[in-house]
Amino acid sequence: MEKSQEGKISRRNFIKGVGATAVGLSFPHIANAKAATLELRWLGWEHYNVHSIVSGFEKKYGVKVSSSFFDGNSEAYNKLNNGGTKDFDLVMADGFWPRLYAKKGLTQAVNYDKLSNMQYVFDDFKAPNYKLLQEEGGSKMIAAPNCWGGYGITVNTDKVAPEDANSLEMLFNEKYAKHISTSARFEENIALAGILATHQMGTQNKPRPDGKSFNPYVLTDAELQRAKELLIKQKKLLVTRWNDEDTLERLLRAQIVWASPEWSGIYRRIHFDKLDHKSKLNMKHVLHPKEGGLGWVDTWAITSGVTDSEKLDLAHKWIDWRLKPENMAIIATDVGWSPTVDVRKLIPQRYVESMFLNETKSIRDLHQFDVPSSPEKWEKIWSEVEAS
Amino acid sequence: MNQKIFWRLSGPGALFLVIFLLVPLITILVFSFWRTESYTMIADWNLDNYIRLLTDKTYLTFLMRSLVMATVVSLVSLVFSWPIAFFIARYGGKYKIILLLLTSAPFLTGEVLRVTALQQILGPLGLINMTLNNFGIEPIEALMYSNTSSAIGLTYLWVPFMVLAIYLSLLNFDFDLLEVAKVNGAKSWSAFWEITWPLNKIGTAIGVVLVFVPTLASSITSKFLGGPNGALYGNILTNQFGSTGTWALGSAMGVVLFFVSILVLLVVWRLVGDLRRSGISIKGGARL
Repeated sequence: MEKSQEGKISRRNFIKGVGATAVGLSFPHIANAKAATLELRWLGWEHYNVHSIVSGFEKKYGVKVSSSFFDGNSEAYNKLNNGGTKDFDLVMADGFWPRLYAKKGLTQAVNYDKLSNMQYVFDDFKAPNYKLLQEEGGSKMIAAPNCWGGYGITVNTDKVAPEDANSLEMLFNEKYAKHISTSARFEENIALAGILATHQMGTQNKPRPDGKSFNPYVLTDAELQRAKELLIKQKKLLVTRWNDEDTLERLLRAQIVWASPEWSGIYRRIHFDKLDHKSKLNMKHVLHPKEGGLGWVDTWAITSGVTDSEKLDLAHKWIDWRLKPENMAIIATDVGWSPTVDVRKLIPQRYVESMFLNETKSIRDLHQFDVPSSPEKWEKIWSEVEAS
Repeated sequence: MNQKIFWRLSGPGALFLVIFLLVPLITILVFSFWRTESYTMIADWNLDNYIRLLTDKTYLTFLMRSLVMATVVSLVSLVFSWPIAFFIARYGGKYKIILLLLTSAPFLTGEVLRVTALQQILGPLGLINMTLNNFGIEPIEALMYSNTSSAIGLTYLWVPFMVLAIYLSLLNFDFDLLEVAKVNGAKSWSAFWEITWPLNKIGTAIGVVLVFVPTLASSITSKFLGGPNGALYGNILTNQFGSTGTWALGSAMGVVLFFVSILVLLVVWRLVGDLRRSGISIKGGARL
């Protein structure tokens, strides 16, 4: 070893030192790169966080999946719009919301060539039949479908007259006072009242001010006023506005509530109990009331915060994994939502029927969940209803 | 205390308060002068939100509902809490702390859980109405998703605060004074009104404030128990930050609520008189 004078550094020692430092500085990064696991972060509805599906993906691709949840589209939109694109790689949205995300640059294009399982999706949920997965006025795909459904009315057919059961008017009928319930969701309450109001006013099929077809989330001031009057009138007929499905299910089972809009999950559970002779209740779910109904297709979209090609690829793999028929069958039977993928051969017949999987065409007639044309106006209307 | 040590000890707490209390409050104040358009905040300085809140009867209705609810809940809590606190302080003996903790037992669970439990008692399928139903008696409508139901729920939630405040006040109270009054011919009731009550007015006032202010801002209880006519100011405020996404209006509602709460404190302060005059001091000196 070359000696050096005290306080002085020899050339060789200097080179050694620099080398050692360089190696030392590099190793942690090398080690970290080896240890670092790619993480995929999604923001969506909590019920889609199915352990077996998530862990299967993590195991297959050696990555970590983390999830965050929201209660409604507007909450998720607010999160992403306020810097959340850096915090989430994927976001779930339904109805018209994916288009709003894309329009605002919060999400990016989805490459369908990377989604081999799209082949199993019902044609009714693919373009051109279902247009909302495409950007407005363009051909770029902005989201991939997941599940679908309506916001129909679950009706106790022992209590509600057959001539009333297929109409939205049932929810405003004094004959059923104190036996009606609605959810606390203000957008859907106004939209349903808006459908009935426009039907009564005869404005639904007339040319609309925006030149587009009728959308219950885009109402004129006069229509909103009429919807408000209906909602105020409805208040005295309601048992409650439910905040959780459990409350509504108990009220329906006890026959305190005879009719309420819901996602059809409660109807399915009660109906299955009837099939299993555990309940005597006769229920039906009106997916499409005669005046019109609300529907949704929820989707996966990739946020604009994903810029790394490896992460982008992983995001596509995740969507494709979720679309896999075996995984969608789990969603149908274990979670209770109707898949956009044809899983009819993988699930029991009772699920096929009660999830309307033989009637996927009905999605075309349902008004899709949307953003209120003016959230400020809708807020005011809802506050007036609540204060009345 | 050495100034350096003082700052080292109090610094983290002060910093915490500045970051997590003061900064959000200032942010809310700033937002309240902006406006929201389709879920986007726009820094367009104006007073519209305040004008709307203070002139539109819709929002004044919610504020009035909450003020009435807070008053009712405070009064009912007061009536329930005094005997409990008096009993524990006077006759609790060595079990005082245990008895006090028992009144706070519901706080070992979360608010949502407590409200859910109340639904099992008050709702149409609750214990009371189901029992009546079994005897062929009509259910009590007032208990089914109503403002009465909310008031019961809120009283249940906040009574422990009132009990605690009155109990702490009574701990410093010399109960021998009551014996002296009785020896001098005072009846129990007049001894209470002329001695116990005035000397524990401050503790009671603190209890009232501890119940009134959170009730004024509450939303969860009325959301689950209130029914179609039960929306309070707190519910509408919560909506602004959630589903409606009208953050600017929500911020203004928060500022209004803050000042109404301050106003309540001032009114209570004026009603019961200056704290120091009544013997309570920040140095912790005993009364009497």
